[in-house]
Amino acid sequence: MEIDPVTNGNTDAVMTEPTPAISPSRPLVPSSRLSQLTESIKLEHQLLRVPFEHYKKTIRANHRSLEREVSSVVSSVGDLADNDWSKDVAVSRLTSLVSRLQGLKRKLEEGSNVENLQAQRCRARIDHLDSADVENITEWNNTKLKRILVDYMLRMSYFETASKLSESSNILDLVDIDIFREAKKVIDALKRREVASALAWCADNKTRLKKSKSKLEFQLRLQEFIELVRADSYKQAILYARKHLTPWGATHMNELQHVLATLAFKSTTECAKYKALFELQQWDVLVHQFKQEFCKLYGMTMEPLLNIYLQAGLTALKTPYSFEEGCTKEDPLSQESFRKLALPLPYSKQEHSKLVCYISKELMDTENPPQVLPNGYVYSTKALKEMADRNKGEIKCPRTGFVCNHTDLIKAYIS
Amino acid sequence: MELKSIKDAFDRVANKQKLSYTKTQEIIQMLSQELDKALILLQEQFDHRPILASLKKTLQENSPLTQIEVREKELNMALTKYPKVLEKQQLNSDISKAYRHNVEFDTHVVNQIIANFFYRQGMFDVGDCFLAETGDESECSTRRSFVEMHQIVEAMEMRRELGPALNWATSNSEKLRQARSDLEMKLHSLRFLEIARDQTSQEAINYARKHMAGFADSSLYEIQKLICSLLWSRNLEHSPYSDLLAPSRWNDAVRELTRQYCNLLGESSESALSTTVAAGTQALPVLLKYMNVMVAASKKLDWQSVEQLPVAVELSEEFQFRSVFVCPVSKEQASDENPPMMMSCGHVLCKQTINKMSKNGARSSFKCPYCPTDVDISKCRQLHF
Repeated sequence: MEIDPVTNGNTDAVMTEPTPAISPSRPLVPSSRLSQLTESIKLEHQLLRVPFEHYKKTIRANHRSLEREVSSVVSSVGDLADNDWSKDVAVSRLTSLVSRLQGLKRKLEEGSNVENLQAQRCRARIDHLDSADVENITEWNNTKLKRILVDYMLRMSYFETASKLSESSNILDLVDIDIFREAKKVIDALKRREVASALAWCADNKTRLKKSKSKLEFQLRLQEFIELVRADSYKQAILYARKHLTPWGATHMNELQHVLATLAFKSTTECAKYKALFELQQWDVLVHQFKQEFCKLYGMTMEPLLNIYLQAGLTALKTPYSFEEGCTKEDPLSQESFRKLALPLPYSKQEHSKLVCYISKELMDTENPPQVLPNGYVYSTKALKEMADRNKGEIKCPRTGFVCNHTDLIKAYIS
Repeated sequence: MELKSIKDAFDRVANKQKLSYTKTQEIIQMLSQELDKALILLQEQFDHRPILASLKKTLQENSPLTQIEVREKELNMALTKYPKVLEKQQLNSDISKAYRHNVEFDTHVVNQIIANFFYRQGMFDVGDCFLAETGDESECSTRRSFVEMHQIVEAMEMRRELGPALNWATSNSEKLRQARSDLEMKLHSLRFLEIARDQTSQEAINYARKHMAGFADSSLYEIQKLICSLLWSRNLEHSPYSDLLAPSRWNDAVRELTRQYCNLLGESSESALSTTVAAGTQALPVLLKYMNVMVAASKKLDWQSVEQLPVAVELSEEFQFRSVFVCPVSKEQASDENPPMMMSCGHVLCKQTINKMSKNGARSSFKCPYCPTDVDISKCRQLHF
């Protein structure tokens, strides 16, 4: 019985029977696989950061409201002691304070439960990254692909598919459906030309937005102002500007002036600069800006993860010959849809030649050097020898049908 | 990169949060108690003012707010540290840096790819729900084929039924042979073992004669093993051929069936989407590193319109689907306009290099850069890899 090892640089693909099956290359030596795995984990910042930001936000919000309540209770006591209230009033007020504290205790507990759940989710993500191993790498990659797909669904607002996919693949802990739902509410409101939810969101995240010097709130206020002008409610517009726009004057005077001047124009004005301000597209700009601030806050990329990975993958796989016919079906770029996507992308740079035999799909290297037929077509030495052995020394080019003898072959030297 | 330090940093955050929670609970408890005490005193005594005054004093001494603040500050510090730990562990904070923004992916094409993936994996309800949500009118053309494939696979996996699989394999026998697949042999072996177990050895031999004879040249060893195993017909688990009963044989058969089925559909053996994403996973670190280096060196990069990536991305072997020839002199990749040419000495250069070496035909021969042979341009042959 012959042992026919497949020497492709693979160490564990030795088959114990001479099956002619073409099997895919087995995993490489573990050390390079391990470093690949580490590199792939390094790309997962978003996975850890998003639930953490959510957790941080909840903690801070809970703390703020708690602080307010406690300080109000303390100051109420102080007020009672300082002023001369009657005994009955004092008793009734103290009693109400006590019940308020009870309510506060409950709220604290509930808040802590929510925080714990979120902490659990953060931990689940870290554990998931930890569980990645060279052994279970196919499964881990499979889960990764599902995660990336859920991220795509959420960004395109396909919530039903996202939920179904997460449930059936058991990755609910690894995806952020609720965070995207929160964003969708605001975006839907903006699309209906209502700024209320967006402004509420800005108020919720005031400190963070201030730190990143965001002018989202300013833009929202400007838009409300423009809408008031559009509706010809000039007086209201001016009052609004006095109340909400003046605080921003110190830092954004130019823009403020530019928009305030809309008071002088009608919404149907033909003046190009001001016509642009009245365009309904401005709302789309606001939606985009909100998305940007939102993603920045949570440490997410603006683009869907799927697009990022696809772009990088397609461009790495693309070669100048990628659009030729007759390539192996294993290549994703042999599929019409992938080709369409890859069309505007650059092709990858290679430092060294890598030749693949058309017949055996094996690498043509020094152990299996390429041989040239008289018509210029090249195949691997092994495949050609096999063919010659089976056909009494005759070689037939599978692509052109050209026939020659094994002795007519010339060795090519590729460095 | 150490996941342990990330875990530790997060544990610190969780601990501080617990401490903050317990402290706040204590404070609220203390406040309640003081207020209750004061209320009781008020019931008993006549003058309420000193009670209230002492209550206020107690609260001030305990300074509840400051205590809560202290804990909260510690928690905040831990919270701020955590993202820094993530960065220190080299988790790339923005993987979209290498993204080309002027390239728009056609959403319709992407949706088709995704739907195809779902159907291929057998997630038919997810795929249908997806297409419904995208509002895409066109149905995925491969859906029906994948439904059939999954029915066959399910029969094999759930009910150990080989019927549908064998039918499919025999009807596509020719194509399977062309693809040099051993699927038919695998299925026939499984059936053979079934017959040997459930019916008589004679029936098994008849089956073998009928169906396996044609595979003698490719799978002789396997056939020999199977026939020999009949000697232990009722006792296979304790025979030297016990591995024939291993469930992994079924898994192998299912895998081979899936691969061949997809191949015949014109799809790749592994899902094209997962292959591309895997390639992307290998390419991204290189691209991102390059971007960072460029930014650090303040070099402007016309990233958006280059035809070839400015940095080499080495993908592992399983992504090598087609030949790439890089001219050793010009370091350029061969393409249709610049094909590889073999010189009479056997060394290969790309056409443009050869033209340059011969000064565009001004000289009829030049020296090969590898061996000192004289090369005649007219004798250079174009190669097809």
